Amino acid sequence: MLLHLLNRAPSSSHVPRDVLRAMGAEDRLMLIEDGVYGALNAQVQHLPGLEGRLFALREDLESRGLAGRCDASVTIVDMDGFVALTEEAQRTVSWF
Amino acid sequence: MRYALLVLGGPYTHQAAHSALRFAHAAIARGHRVDTVFFYHDGVYNASHLAAPPQDEPHLVDAWRALHREHGTALQVCVAAALRRGVLDASEAERHGKTGASLESPFELTGLGQLLDVERTHERLLTFAP
Amino acid sequence: MSERAEAEHGDLLVVLRHAPHGSLWLREALDLALVGAAFGQSVSLLLMGDGVWALLAGQGQGPLGQKGTQSTFDMLEMYDIERLYVDASALASRGLAPDDLLLPVIPVDAARLPAVLAGHRQIFNF
Repeated sequence: MLLHLLNRAPSSSHVPRDVLRAMGAEDRLMLIEDGVYGALNAQVQHLPGLEGRLFALREDLESRGLAGRCDASVTIVDMDGFVALTEEAQRTVSWF
Repeated sequence: MRYALLVLGGPYTHQAAHSALRFAHAAIARGHRVDTVFFYHDGVYNASHLAAPPQDEPHLVDAWRALHREHGTALQVCVAAALRRGVLDASEAERHGKTGASLESPFELTGLGQLLDVERTHERLLTFAP
Repeated sequence: MSERAEAEHGDLLVVLRHAPHGSLWLREALDLALVGAAFGQSVSLLLMGDGVWALLAGQGQGPLGQKGTQSTFDMLEMYDIERLYVDASALASRGLAPDDLLLPVIPVDAARLPAVLAGHRQIFNF
């Protein structure tokens, strides 16, 4: 299982589409930096098929004023949770 | 676990270096070791000790130095990527006839072969990019 | 079938997603691939998105003498970098066919992309 890190928003970049195509059925997606815009209610539709495998970094949501706007299907994790996800994955792939 | 971070983004222009620092401290807090941070592409600018950010902004160079001092993290900088961007230590400055150096210990210039060694010897490698 | 599956395994996968000349991403990614191969690692390249432009024939230097990357691709075989995966849909959406490219490639469709990533011990994504 790979953990993919994404720091691009679906509203401004084609990179999220490439990530989805490269992800295996068990792989997980962690949204960081500007990637967290993809966790919003109105944007999460661009990251389909990731039930239980889509995560967003709390501090990057909060600094952008997005704390209460995240879709319920996204699991919000703090830095400690982010590290835990990297422990569980064999390796990580960063997309930017 | 033994972690390494690869930083590809320059300081301040992008969040990459801030994210890498945050991750390093979070990993250490969970009991891991962050033995190496490798700087490549525009990430090499993080090693310039000439950076003089305003006092009310995070001082990234000092933060990297503190990571080295407090946790022994090696701060390795790709020499080829650094030289073409004007990031030189004293010996490279002398070799190229420059009047000043912009990189000093604990940052160290090294080759890409070192990154490949890091990749093999650390259990996790995370890239932080612009 | 088993031969193909076996061919998807290697030490390092360097993913190239940027076109030549506009930035240094492609060159510095290739530098890492060449050093990896020189250190005895089995290295594969995967071209996705605008990275596929790197293989278009007829590239040259920039007007200031910027090197570009075509000469580096010419050296891949010498470095024993033989597996050159290309995202088939990235080619098609740019009006390119494998025959337009400088080097023989292994087209990868969406269904096989995850296997290419999973088959390598380490992935450097540029």
